[in-house]
Order: sequence, then structure tokens, then C-alpha cells
Amino acid sequence: MIEVKDLKKEFKKTIKSPGLKGSIQSLFHKKTEIVKAVDGLTFNVGEGEILGFIGPNGAGKSTAIKMLTGILTPTSGTLNINGQIPYKNRKKYVKEIGVVFGQRTQLWWDLPLTETYSVLKEIYMIDDNKFKERMEFLNDVLELEDFIKSPVRTLSLGQRMRADIAASMLHSPKVLFLDEPTIGLDVVVKDNIRKAINQINKQDKTTIILTTHDLNDIEMLCERIVMIDKGKMVYDGSLSKMKDTYGKMREVDISLNDKGEADKFDLEAAFKFEEDDYDIELKGNKMILKFNSAKASIPDMLDYILKTAGVRDIAVKDADIEEIIRRIYRSEVNLDEQH
Amino acid sequence: MNSIKKVKRMYGAFTNAGIQDFIAYRASFVGFFLGEILICFVMYFIWKAVYASAGNSTFMGFSMVDMMVYIFLTNIAGFLTGTDSTYSIAEEIKDGSIIMRLIKPVKVDLSFLFFELGNKVMIISCVFIPVILGLEIYRYVMLGYVAFNPIRLILFMFSISISYLLAFYLNLIFGYLAFFLLNLWGFNILKESIIKFFSGAIIPLAFFPEVVRNIFEYLPFASLTYTPVMIYMEKYNGSTLLLNLGLQLLWLSFFIWLSKLIWKWAERRLAVQGG
Repeated sequence: MIEVKDLKKEFKKTIKSPGLKGSIQSLFHKKTEIVKAVDGLTFNVGEGEILGFIGPNGAGKSTAIKMLTGILTPTSGTLNINGQIPYKNRKKYVKEIGVVFGQRTQLWWDLPLTETYSVLKEIYMIDDNKFKERMEFLNDVLELEDFIKSPVRTLSLGQRMRADIAASMLHSPKVLFLDEPTIGLDVVVKDNIRKAINQINKQDKTTIILTTHDLNDIEMLCERIVMIDKGKMVYDGSLSKMKDTYGKMREVDISLNDKGEADKFDLEAAFKFEEDDYDIELKGNKMILKFNSAKASIPDMLDYILKTAGVRDIAVKDADIEEIIRRIYRSEVNLDEQH
Repeated sequence: MNSIKKVKRMYGAFTNAGIQDFIAYRASFVGFFLGEILICFVMYFIWKAVYASAGNSTFMGFSMVDMMVYIFLTNIAGFLTGTDSTYSIAEEIKDGSIIMRLIKPVKVDLSFLFFELGNKVMIISCVFIPVILGLEIYRYVMLGYVAFNPIRLILFMFSISISYLLAFYLNLIFGYLAFFLLNLWGFNILKESIIKFFSGAIIPLAFFPEVVRNIFEYLPFASLTYTPVMIYMEKYNGSTLLLNLGLQLLWLSFFIWLSKLIWKWAERRLAVQGG
């Protein structure tokens, strides 16, 4: 469905020396430098797949998405989406894709929401029956009835986002690009939107590329993730594999009866732990214990804790992908290992 | 034929939205309109003083009635040919929201154009018709006979349509400059003043010395408001009329071509700002 090969985008950037003097200098002598925003991306996405596209701010995600949606022309590399080359015939290509940029809107700001949909109906040449059917489906999934007659400027952010997603789905695109679709939304709305995205994906077999900073989005939507940093790909694989590979460190939060109980733990003796296999943090009588679950299983560890000390409460944390990603961003994890 | 239908359906939706958008902001438009009418009256009194001190009933071939018609017609022509395309496109380029147009299967220039046509439909029905009616009543009262010529009105409408398209593309090209300059505010004011002066919106081009006038009349700015107004006022006749209509069309095709050229160039080198 989507084939990306050695995709690159370079920008010319003007460098300005600091201060007023620099500004005046740059008026006459423009020094430019070439910035590689996207530096050799290669990946494929199959039909009906949801791909999570993640990376820190400035990693080149947006630039990549803009190339995939036909807005920007790549400096080099090849792109083939849905049998078309995005930047070659933009008008033809965009008929079959849907795009949501979470920080922007495609809705007519001063008009009632329905008007945006009527304009889109004409732009995409959707016939009346199909349009009606589609509106019913989107209404169902995204619950638009309550505000469909209100001017867009009066909608809340959550309503607007739902309306925007509906607008990008009206013409039943084969590929959907969602650039931070949950940005700035509260937990409940985020959850609704994720459900809607899942439902759309299931019903239409829409291929979806999703960028986000919210890792819950990834966890709930994506089987597979591509992570990029500084324009380069740093990880391509399933979420569960990443968790297995990097999620060995587990965390147990323990409330002790007494602060002194902490001294009783001797993990090095009990599990033959080495120094980097565990980490203990104490805050009052709260103890946060992180350990390598490859060397000691969770049941064994719990057993040991309960035997060793008087405990009031105990909680086992799931492998935290946020932590994993943070570590990958910091390049602590050697990425060549997993391929 | 089929493709014309397609275009009509697709961009007709933009025109429709333009009409509704206009209605959403009718209060602000009423204010704007009253301000413009006020300026017309100020201009009227200035010229009245000029005529009074000159002691002649005609001045450079313009009678006082002519002057009155000229002032109101130029203003209305300004309304009809006025276009926000520089501002709208520059703003969208500046904040990057132009990408929301690029992800739709529409031509960027036409989507702006047809949206604005929706505004124009409203201006024609709410402003143009009443003002023309008022002017003709004024002429009838002052002259004692009906000076209205329906053929002239049709020619005027034809000419002003070209004027509008010309203004649109001229402003669009200016808007594209935002790709390079990013902020157009100052330049835009400069452009507005240049157009106002060279198009005869402040002083009729007929009042300039002949050499200057000849040059001005061939520049694209005269095609903007001066030509249609001269046609309506029956100052352009026969071959002059045809020559000026031809000139308008020539400038229009030139600016359409130029705008396409610049857009093609910019589209390839587009760097979208923000997020």
C-alpha cells in the first residue's frame, strides 16, 4: 500500500549571526546551510495496517508526513502510495487519501459544520446516497449530531477534532494520515477518538499512519511502530517486540509498614543480581523497586518481598513504553542489537 | 462539457460557502460600506469646491454630474473588483494553513477565486444595484432626462468582470511573494497606494497631462477600475472601447500566465511553516 524508499528532504536554512548586527549582515550576505530534515527513510505499510510514526519534536515526522501527503517534494528517494507518486499529480493523488493535522483544521471556521461537509461532498464528487450513508456511519462513530448545525468557531477542541476526522473520512479514503489527532484533548475524548479510529480501520480496511506524542495512542491503536530521530529511522517493528526487547526492567511500588524495613532487602544475595540489574528508590516508607525480569520473575520477586518485610500495599507496574522510548531517544539502547 | 459541469459542481460549493460567509459577517460589512459611502461624499464635496472655484461647469470634459457619477462608480467598481487574495493567501502561507488546501483535490487559485465570487454575488445584489439605481435617479433629476443606457451597463458588467479577474490574479501573484518574504503587511500597503493612484481611483486619469495619461492608460492598473467606469460613462466609444477591452483581456491573460508560472515554481520549493 505504502512504499517508502530512501526518502530524503533537505532544506536550505539561512544562518543569521546573533543580534542586530547579524540581522543587518544577513540582509546583504546570506549564509545558508543545508538541513537534512529527513535523511533516508525506508519502510512499507500493508493494506489495513495502522502504523505508529513516532519521534521527538523536530525529528522530521511532520516533514515526512508532508511528503507522504504530496505537499512537499522529496529531495531524493522514491514514494509509492496506493499506486501513485504523491508529488507527481497532487490533485489526483489526494482524492484517495484523508489527512488530519491535529494542530490545524480543514473546517470552514465561520460556517455551520454541515456546510463543510456539503463543500467536501462536491469537491470529492460524492453522490447523494453514498454521502448520506457515509454521514450516518461517521455520525455513529464520532457522535456529531449534537453540534453539526453549530458554526465551527463555537466547537470545543474535542468536537472540532471529531469533526475534522469525519471531514477527512467522508470520501472513504484508502489511506488516512493522522498527525497528532489527540493533541490537547482530555482523557475521555482521547479514548473516544481512539475507538473511532479503530472502528474506521476495521470497517473500511483503511491504512492509517499516525503520529503522536501520546504513547497511549500507540498502545491502543498500533501493532507496529516506526521511530525516527534526526531524520533517520531508529526502530521499525512491532510494539510487543519492542516491549520484550527493552521492557525487561519491571517496576514494583511498595508501601512499607516502617521505613526501616527497607534495610532488610538484599537482592544481590537472593537473586544473584548485579549492580545494573536493579534500582531502589526510597521516599518515606514508599519504596520503588526496579529490577531485571529476565533474572527474577515477578511471582518470585513478590514472594521474596512479602517474606522479607512487612508490607501495607504493593503494585506491579506494566512495562512502561514511555520509559523505553525515552531510553531509545537518549540512545542508551543499542539499536543494532534487535535486527 | 462534462469537465465544465465538474468544475461548476466542485467550485460552485466554494461560491456557496462564500455567500454564507458573507452573511455571517454582514454587520461588519455594513460598517465598511457606510465608511466607503462617507468617503464618496467627502470626495464629492472636494470636487464641488474645485468646480466652484474654477467657475466652469465643465472641467477637462467632466461636468459636475459626471464627476459625481465618476466618484460613486469608481468606488463601486473598487468594491466589485476589490479582492482579498493577497491577504488571504499570504496569511495562509505565513501560518502554514495553505496545506489544508493542498490536501484537497482542488486548484489553490480557483478555490480562493470561487469563494470570493460568493462574496461578489452578495455585493452585486446588496450594493451595486441600489447604488446604480440611486445614481441614475440623481442623473435624471440633474439632467432632466434619462441618461441610463442598458447596453452600457452590459458592457460595464463585462468589463468589470475582466477587471475583477485581473485584480484577483495581480493580487494572487503579490500574495505568492509571501513564499519569499513571509510577511507582506508593509508591501501590501504600498501596493494598495500604487494601485489606487495609477488606476484613477483618486483622480480621473483624464486629468493627467497627455503624455502621462497615455502611459497610465496602457498600464494594467487602468484596466482595473478606470476602463469599466469610462465605458459606463460613455467616454470610451467605438474603436477606443474595443482597444481598451482588448487591453484588459491582454493584461488578464498575462497575469494568469504569470501566476501559474510562479505557483509552479513555488509549489516545488514549498517549505511549509509551523508544525
